[in-house]
Amino acid sequence: MQNKKSLSLSILSTALVFVMIIAIGTGAMHMSPLQVIGILLKGIGIQLPVTYTEQMPAVLWMIRLPRVVLAVIIGAGLGISGAALQGLFRNPLADPGLIGISAGASLTAAMLIVLHVYLPFMVSGSIFQTYAQNIITFLGAMLTVLIVFRMSVDGGRSIVSVMLLSGIAINALCSAFTGLMTYVADNEQLRNITFWTLGSLGGATWQTVLAVLPFVLVPVLMLPRMAPALNVFALGEQEAMHSGVQVNKLKTQLIIYATMAVAAGVAVAGIIGFIGLVVPHIIRQFTGPDHHILIPSTALAGAILLTVADLLCRTIIAPAELPVGIITAITGAPVFIWLILKEKRLIAV
Amino acid sequence: MLVVKDVSLSFGNVPVLAQMQLQAQPGELCVLMGANGAGKSTLLRTIAGEYKHYRGSILLNGQELHHMPVDAQARQRAVLSQQLNLQMPFTVAEVVAMGRYAYRASERLYDKEIVTYALKLLQVYDLKDRSYPTLSGGQQQRVQMARVLAQLLEAPALHAMDYTGKKMLLLDEPVTGMDILHQQLALQLAVQLSRQGVLVIAVLHDFQLAAAYAQRVFFLKNGRVYAQGPVATVLSPLHIRHCFGVDVSVLHHSLCAYPLVVTNTAATLFSSSALQATNAY
Repeated sequence: MQNKKSLSLSILSTALVFVMIIAIGTGAMHMSPLQVIGILLKGIGIQLPVTYTEQMPAVLWMIRLPRVVLAVIIGAGLGISGAALQGLFRNPLADPGLIGISAGASLTAAMLIVLHVYLPFMVSGSIFQTYAQNIITFLGAMLTVLIVFRMSVDGGRSIVSVMLLSGIAINALCSAFTGLMTYVADNEQLRNITFWTLGSLGGATWQTVLAVLPFVLVPVLMLPRMAPALNVFALGEQEAMHSGVQVNKLKTQLIIYATMAVAAGVAVAGIIGFIGLVVPHIIRQFTGPDHHILIPSTALAGAILLTVADLLCRTIIAPAELPVGIITAITGAPVFIWLILKEKRLIAV
Repeated sequence: MLVVKDVSLSFGNVPVLAQMQLQAQPGELCVLMGANGAGKSTLLRTIAGEYKHYRGSILLNGQELHHMPVDAQARQRAVLSQQLNLQMPFTVAEVVAMGRYAYRASERLYDKEIVTYALKLLQVYDLKDRSYPTLSGGQQQRVQMARVLAQLLEAPALHAMDYTGKKMLLLDEPVTGMDILHQQLALQLAVQLSRQGVLVIAVLHDFQLAAAYAQRVFFLKNGRVYAQGPVATVLSPLHIRHCFGVDVSVLHHSLCAYPLVVTNTAATLFSSSALQATNAY
């Protein structure tokens, strides 16, 4: 198992570095991979015999790198939360959207866009504002998840199928209120809301990177520790309890970390669908269901996938760019359909 | 030693266990029997710690179940439940290794040996790299039995340790879906464990298996213990008629060490209350 794990992680890390270098080099000002490596290493004091123009380091450090790093962080968060939630629901088709994370975050973000003029602490353009925005969106997502979770609790334990149904109901309610927000929004706000729901990494700066990082870092560090319990949890809630898993604690932690990992990304980049659903699935095909391997691998693969998707969305119709949520949906939805058809029999059980 | 005293449990307004009294000694193989809905599985699950809202007291080796943390319970007892539904394609060896979860904090010297030993004992070692969902129902049941054994054992051999007062094994219809050979093997394994001091409680439906392997039989009816004692006294036609509503004959044969319970098919059919009720119209 240890071999399989290090093999999987080293392949994915290599691929991630490769993809990042390509993504950093691609754009209106093209940089070769060697130039990218040269400029990056110069940043830590290592001089390589590579020639590049004067503007290149500025473009790389101020424009390209923060955007790629943001894609890596948000992608890792989406991937890892997908793996955690699929483990929690013991269902390979579970997705962060199911339990209200995206809907709650959308509603909060729409409310912030429309109502921010009434909120005194939201006026300045400082990092504090970005943090406040993230924290509020995160709290909104957390609140919806909490309601969904509480609705599913019966006799001290949460029933997973009820949680899915509550998710549908709360999702509907949230989108109704988001609709209400769009109704009262002015033209400028409407445009913001629409772009936000399509998802985009266009606004990436080092500030947004710093604002998102802690929210994703904590789950990425904590979720792998839960791998043994998640494996046993696959047997069923009762069996996990019989085997010594503190089931309620596990479920609560999984939901908090999954929400953290998704909500902060959603707060700055909007709704980016299907990565949380598809990534754990693809990884499972290669590594099997063992969460020791699955959880860190999905973080890396989510990062790779979102970096590639973002690269596509800003090159396909350059100099304009597509919202990244459209790219992930166009490629992710057919994969989802294929999964449903493939697993029809399992779902029917 | 397990003492169940005055335990009552209800789901909503439906009482399932009523003032249940039960005692079992280490090293005993106890069998719970009763008609559907008599409370067998619920009793087993309550002892397993699944329902926390019971009234009364359940003492396991002198400790109240309420006060035992989940992982301490898991190191003292293992449970094989009905209807396991594992959809993720874990391998057989991975499933059996899950049984060792409760010991993850302590030294894990024997983990691998115990898992291998359990796989071999349940004759699923050849399947160890197969994906669990692709196995047949009976094979899956044997793999689960191996997992439960891996949770119970503290050394990679059945006879290496004396488990008196340390371990309890709960089996809810453990042989469902197994072929007849593996039914016998599974219950012989339960007997072996009970000889090492493990307290074994099993829910069974088959009188023959109960008669052959049980040291003590509990008949449950309407959430209470209706009769208890050794096989010879509990498996009587009268008790069986009261608990199960069927007429049986209990036969003894010189080639068989235990009593044979045979249903009187014809008599059962004609004396059934359902038929009388339909005839009344």
